[in-house]
Amino acid sequence: MTVLGKGAAGTGKWVDDRLGSSNFVRRSLNKVFPDHWSFMLGEIALYSFIILLLTGTYLTLFFDASMKEVVYNGSYIPLKGVTMSEAYASTLRMSFDVRGGLLMRQIHHWAALLFLASIVVHLMRVFFTGAYRKPRELNWVIGTLLLITGILEGFAGYSLPDDLLSGTGLRIASGITQSIPVVGTWASFLLFGGEFPGTAIIGRLYAVHILLIPGVILGLITFHMMMIWYQKHTDFPGPGRTEDNVVGSRMYPVYAAKAGGFFFLVFAVLALLGGLAQINPIWLYGPYDPSQVSAGSQPDWYMGFLDGSTRLMPNIEIHAFSHTIPLNVMLPTVVLPGILFTGLALWPWIEQFLTKDRSYHNLLDRPRDKPVRTALGAMSISFYILLIIGGGNDIIASIFSISVQTITHTLRVAIFVVPPLVYLATKRWCLGLQHSDEELVHHGIESGTIRRLPSGEFVEETVGLPVAYQITLTGVEPSERPILQSGQAPDGPGYGDEHVVAVNGSNGHVVEAAPRPRGFFRDRSVSRKEPLRPEATVPQLETSGKPRAK
Amino acid sequence: MTESTGGQTPTNEPRGGMTSAEAAGSIRDRLRSPVDTSEAGNGDDSRGSDITEAAFRQTDSRAELAAHGRDERQHDSASGPVAHAIQEPRKQDLSEAEERSAERKVAALFLLSFVGVIAFVITYFAAPFNFTARNNIYFTPLLALFMALALGGIGAGAVKWAKTLMVDEEAVQDRHGFASDQAEIDATGQAIMQGLEQTGLPRRKLLRNTLLLGAGSLAILPLPLLLDLGPYAHKERALAETAWKKGIRLVRRNGTPVRLGDLALGALETVYPDVPGGVRMADSPTMLIRMRPEELTPRKGREDWSVQGHIAYSVICTHLGCPVKLYEQQTHHLFCPCHQSTFDASNGAKVLFGPAARSLPQLPIYVDADGYFVAGGPYPEPVGPSYWERKS
Repeated sequence: MTVLGKGAAGTGKWVDDRLGSSNFVRRSLNKVFPDHWSFMLGEIALYSFIILLLTGTYLTLFFDASMKEVVYNGSYIPLKGVTMSEAYASTLRMSFDVRGGLLMRQIHHWAALLFLASIVVHLMRVFFTGAYRKPRELNWVIGTLLLITGILEGFAGYSLPDDLLSGTGLRIASGITQSIPVVGTWASFLLFGGEFPGTAIIGRLYAVHILLIPGVILGLITFHMMMIWYQKHTDFPGPGRTEDNVVGSRMYPVYAAKAGGFFFLVFAVLALLGGLAQINPIWLYGPYDPSQVSAGSQPDWYMGFLDGSTRLMPNIEIHAFSHTIPLNVMLPTVVLPGILFTGLALWPWIEQFLTKDRSYHNLLDRPRDKPVRTALGAMSISFYILLIIGGGNDIIASIFSISVQTITHTLRVAIFVVPPLVYLATKRWCLGLQHSDEELVHHGIESGTIRRLPSGEFVEETVGLPVAYQITLTGVEPSERPILQSGQAPDGPGYGDEHVVAVNGSNGHVVEAAPRPRGFFRDRSVSRKEPLRPEATVPQLETSGKPRAK
Repeated sequence: MTESTGGQTPTNEPRGGMTSAEAAGSIRDRLRSPVDTSEAGNGDDSRGSDITEAAFRQTDSRAELAAHGRDERQHDSASGPVAHAIQEPRKQDLSEAEERSAERKVAALFLLSFVGVIAFVITYFAAPFNFTARNNIYFTPLLALFMALALGGIGAGAVKWAKTLMVDEEAVQDRHGFASDQAEIDATGQAIMQGLEQTGLPRRKLLRNTLLLGAGSLAILPLPLLLDLGPYAHKERALAETAWKKGIRLVRRNGTPVRLGDLALGALETVYPDVPGGVRMADSPTMLIRMRPEELTPRKGREDWSVQGHIAYSVICTHLGCPVKLYEQQTHHLFCPCHQSTFDASNGAKVLFGPAARSLPQLPIYVDADGYFVAGGPYPEPVGPSYWERKS
């Protein structure tokens, strides 16, 4: 035994004597994690958060969250002698007088953008593969909370430098707060310590940004990870993968090496972005001044959908009984996100209500196998993207020389018309993909070999799909696929329309049983006329090596 | 034959005699694991075949763990016994030279990391940094480049190491169920109810009610503490009023008053109330616009609020408070860059487009005996975004 080994053994013994940790450690090291590129999206979010903590801590050493007015006398010559807040001056100082300060600031900003971007893409992955289904509904809710707290954290963070752009954002935030009936003015005065802008908001946001919300996020992430650990990660269907196992690499050594390496790679990419791609150049915006603004004011991307909804909203305001309810502000900035995020958090239960599926799911869906869910997701994304486009209507107007009015009017219609169309198109697309999968499974692949029949007819031979690929497509071993009676519409895990799972393969093994779907996740219009999976009606389909009859 | 199976299990069918073996073979090769289980035993194909049943055999047993006195479910016994199947061997598994080559590549990446750190430190101390220094613009990009090298070397090295040199395994682990059996649930429920009985809370109504009152009122405790986050006193007046009063001069940012004739036709000047700190007040910025008098359509009762084509409006948008200062001379449109609300300066700053619901408040102005612009009174309505207590 090497010295290192002896040392490790000694330490292990010491710890085990006190904590009895051997069993726990061994189980943890042997924990199996499935491998798929899409499982890295959540990792990116986690690593971005760690990088945010590291760079953010560095920034606190130089940032002064004070709105006290000072006259700038640093090394950035264009702003010399300008009156500004201490917050803005200290941000300039860390950008121009602290070596590496600008790099850290820009890494921090890029990491925040990446944090939210990876959360959103991770959310899409989880949504489209149905990873939130029982038993993982709670983790979906935590993920939603992480998205919301992440957005708030980002907004609080980019407001801190007290530059012209973020100050305008705070002005808008105070207006939004004021728009809430009855308590709005109270809430606004509470936040800002009086009438906007006051002298308190930067200091308060600082406490919120570096202590309160990061603490909440850290707690939520911990809970998120613990649940993944305990419930084990979901996995895509594939050879040897069942509802009852996890296939992949063990935590130690392979997974740890890959994940640890990936952290450094994410950090490296953020370092490159932070040094080579300028972000939030506050010295170009100037200090906040309530009477100044620049054209093309855009918030960070994750606020874009709210900016868009605000821009697209018609100007409706209610005046009654000596009170004012500014619906033009409240609906797009308070009510809309309220509905969106509530719906998002409750989605697992909404789906359960619609499908009546309350069984456990450890294997993921392929998006095409759940046409309605996938179509709803695509519909939501199209709505979200249209709002973001709305948030950039002035930029688009100037780039493409279209009038802002035209863009706004078009988008006002589009947000009601496009999402339903996207829904229909996606659903059709999914069903088409299902049919092509079915072709593959039942007919095999075209071999390119043409054979002449005795009758003189030419046919192309097909080759049976590899078993592994069949399992990936259908989710079950070929032997476990249900044998169907003529005329029976096939339901089952092998056919995408899962939720009905009565696998009665040759071994009579029932994997799981769930109530029948009520059409929500299936295409009723098709199944009414003909079975969705009409293989019972096409017995003439050939297996490999046989010609495909007419 | 095909009738009976309905094309269900194509690969279990014997291949047709007339199949072109070459063609089938090439496609199989492309997809790497085409073999039906019956063929898996064929020497050549076994490498490419999928995990075989045998590979799944458990290398450790539940019994073994149970012998250690560990409760299976609670301690996730399934995590212990991991069976793994070796994948198709990689080239570095087969050749020692390849293995050494892979090792060298990983080592090179780690070395790169070291080089990055050294270069980072040198750049930090040696490269010109100060804003006035020559070539200072290269400082941050260089620093970032070497930092990325330092971090990326370690990262890429670790990933490559794991992929090329560490065990190439496909480990399988059982999942454990989550739901407890009914007896367990009942026992827990019973324990909770028993404890509740022992506190006597269901019986002792007095205790229950006073506890609810006491604990519930705790929610009030933090509310007074929030008060001094305010001030809230006179908040409606604060929102409704600005520094503008009758007789206050309109001054520029630098404090100089504006005289009649200072503004060219079509010009817009941002003006502030001539009071201490007036320039920094968020609700007071006002714009003075000059257009031809005949272009101006004053609102009813406000005919004397403008002077010879000079008219003053609040800069603060009635939608969400951004400064509405993008002025289009020809059309007299005022445009808010935040949410594109557009106002007509020649016609009482009425809303032409966008989410704003109200005209920009107009400031009455006149010219005093010295020829300077002076406010004729306060704004007739609250400036800026709407709020609950706003009367109109």
